[in-house]
Amino acid sequence: MRIRNAIGILSMTVLLAGTILAHHSFTAEYDPNKKIKLTGKVTEMKWSNPHSWIYIDVETDGKTVNWALETGAANSLIRAGWKRDDLPKGTVLVVDGWQARNGSPTANVSSVTFTDGRRLFAASSNTKAKEK
Amino acid sequence: MLRAQSALLLVVLFAGLTPAQQIQRTADGKPNFQGIWQVRNRAAYDLQDHAARHGMPAGKGVVEGGVIPYQPWAAAKKLENFANRQTADPLAKCFFPGVPRIMYMEFPFQIFQTPDQIAMTFEWSQVYRVIHTNGKAQPHDGFESWMGDSRGRWEGDTLVVDVTDHNDKTWFDMAGNFHSDALHVTERYRMLDADTIQYEATIEDPKVFTRPWKISMPLARHKNIDRILEYQCQAEAEEASGDFERDLRTWYPAPGSTPPVIPALPAGGTLPALQTATNLRRTADGKPDLAGFYQSNGGGANYGLERHDRDFLTPGTRGVVIDPPDGTLPYQPWARAERINRELPHRGYDDPTAHCFVAGVPRSIYVPSPFQILQPPGYVVILHERMSWRIIPLDGRAHLPDNLRLWQGDSVGHWEGDTLVVDTTNMNGKTWMNEVGDVVSYAEHVVERFIPTATERITYRATVTDPIVYTRPWTIEIPLNRQAGELLEVACHEDNGDLHHLKDVRDEYRAQQKKEN
Repeated sequence: MRIRNAIGILSMTVLLAGTILAHHSFTAEYDPNKKIKLTGKVTEMKWSNPHSWIYIDVETDGKTVNWALETGAANSLIRAGWKRDDLPKGTVLVVDGWQARNGSPTANVSSVTFTDGRRLFAASSNTKAKEK
Repeated sequence: MLRAQSALLLVVLFAGLTPAQQIQRTADGKPNFQGIWQVRNRAAYDLQDHAARHGMPAGKGVVEGGVIPYQPWAAAKKLENFANRQTADPLAKCFFPGVPRIMYMEFPFQIFQTPDQIAMTFEWSQVYRVIHTNGKAQPHDGFESWMGDSRGRWEGDTLVVDVTDHNDKTWFDMAGNFHSDALHVTERYRMLDADTIQYEATIEDPKVFTRPWKISMPLARHKNIDRILEYQCQAEAEEASGDFERDLRTWYPAPGSTPPVIPALPAGGTLPALQTATNLRRTADGKPDLAGFYQSNGGGANYGLERHDRDFLTPGTRGVVIDPPDGTLPYQPWARAERINRELPHRGYDDPTAHCFVAGVPRSIYVPSPFQILQPPGYVVILHERMSWRIIPLDGRAHLPDNLRLWQGDSVGHWEGDTLVVDTTNMNGKTWMNEVGDVVSYAEHVVERFIPTATERITYRATVTDPIVYTRPWTIEIPLNRQAGELLEVACHEDNGDLHHLKDVRDEYRAQQKKEN
C-alpha cells in the first residue's frame, strides 16, 4: 500500500527518463555501448546522497549475481514523498540502464518498473521534485 | 524599610544593569546570538576530566557530576573506541561531527539569527546547522542524518533546541565517547553577558546510557576576527595523500613561489538591464527580502555552460552564457583543449565534486541541489544543501589578503537599488565549473547580481573575469526560484560510493599509457 502511494506521488511529481542529475560525470563511469536490461529481487535499498543505490539479485544460468544500481539522490526521493521502507526486500524489479565500463555488476539506471509494468522511477530531478 | 526598597530600586534602575540586561537583542526582542563564537576548553578531546596523552592536552571535563553513565556493554565499547581512536574516530575520516560535538570543536563558528531560523556556520568542512524557530514540524520525519534535525523554541531568554534523527556514526569527542541512533539532544543557549553564551546539552539515549546526562560550558565571542575561514578536511587529506592532484595551470601557486602578475582583460559586452519587480517583500531596512528556499533552473549548467545536445547520462544543456552573445565561452586555446580533454572518461576522477569537495563560485548556485538564503542584519548568507556555506557581509569591508585562498572564495556584497551585488575573489583555482570541466583558475573574479525580477524569482547573473583562462570576461544568467521547502543534509563524502569507480577508470588508463610508452 505504501509502495502504491509512493508510486502515485512519484508519477505526479518526478521524473525525467534517461537522465540522472549527478555530482560526477557518469560518462566516465558507465559505458554507452553496454546497455543492459535486468530482472531481479531487491536485496537492499541504500538511501544516500549524492546517489542512492538499489541492490538486486539477478539469476542468470542458475547463478545469482548481486547488482548495484545507481539512482538519484536520496533527498530528491524524500522530497518526492518516499519513505525508507517503501521498497521492501524481495520486490521484483525490471531495470534498464548502462553497465560500468569495467564490466562489474554495476549499472546506472535509466528506468525501473515493477513486473506489471508500473514505473518506479528513472532518477530524480531536483527541479521537479516537490515538497510533500 | 520603604527607603531601603526605593534605594534598591534606584540602584537597579540607574547604577548598574545586570549582565543579563546588557545583552544585545534582536528587533523582535530575543537575545541576539549573532556573532563569531568558540569554546575555550578541552571538551573536543574528552568530555570528561582527562590527563594528557599523546596529541591530547589535559583538560577538565564538562560533564555534570563528572561521569558519563554508560550501560556496561557500552562502557566496554567506549574503551575499545578509545584504544582505536586514531583511526576509528569519525573525524579521522573527515566525517560530519554531529551534535553536540560540532559545538565545542577548536574552530570558530558564526551564528546568524532571523525570526524563523538560526543558522550556525562552521569552519570545519563548511558544515552548517539550521535551527528552525518558526514552530514548523519536521517535514521529512524519520530520515536520520549526521547533524540531526534541529527545532528550537524560546523559553524566556533561553533558546531550547531539540535535536533528533541522529545516525549512530558520530562520536562526542576524540576519546571515543559515543551514542546510538536513539540519541536525543536537548540544547539550551542563554547569554550570560554580551560576550558569553552558556551552552548546555542534555544527552538522552536509552540504548547506551542508564540515565540522561548533561554537559555545560561557556561559548566566548571572538572580538578580533571579522570572518570565519574554511577547513575542508577531506580535500586537505586527499591533497596530502596525493589522491587529489595539483594542477599547476589553475591552482594558486604553492607556498614559497611568487604568483605571476595577472594581466588585465578588455571589457566584456554590455548587458541589457533588467527591471526589478515592484511588489517585492521587503526587510525592516527596506531592502528586498530574498530569504527563502531556492531551486535554480540551471538548464544543465552543471553539465556545460555552453549549449550542447548530447544526452548519454550527461543531459543536454540549454546554454546559460549571455555574454558573449553567441553563447560561446571566450577560452584561450590551451584552456579549450583542457576543457575538451576533461570529458574523457579517465578525467572524470579529476572533477572535485566527484570527491564531494565544495563546488566553488558560481557553480554552487547551479549544481542540482537547492539552497537557502538567510538575510540577518548586515549579511546575506547562502546555505547550500551540498553542505557548504557562503557568508556575504554587507558592511563594505575589504577582501582578504591575496595569499589567503578558499574553495568558496571571499565574498563581499552591497545593494545597487534592489539588486544585490556580490564580489568574490581569493578563489583557490581547484574547482571545475561543471562536470564537462569548464575551466576556471585562481585568478577568477566573480561579480554576481541577484536581481529580484518577480516576487518569487531572482534572475541571477554572474560575470567571471579570469585572465589565466579566458580572453575576455563572460556572463551567465540563471533563474532562481523561491519555493516552500527546507534543506536536507547531503552527506556526500560520507556516503560516496562512486569515487573508487572513477579512480579505477583513471588508474586503468594510466596503466595502459605506461605500457604503451
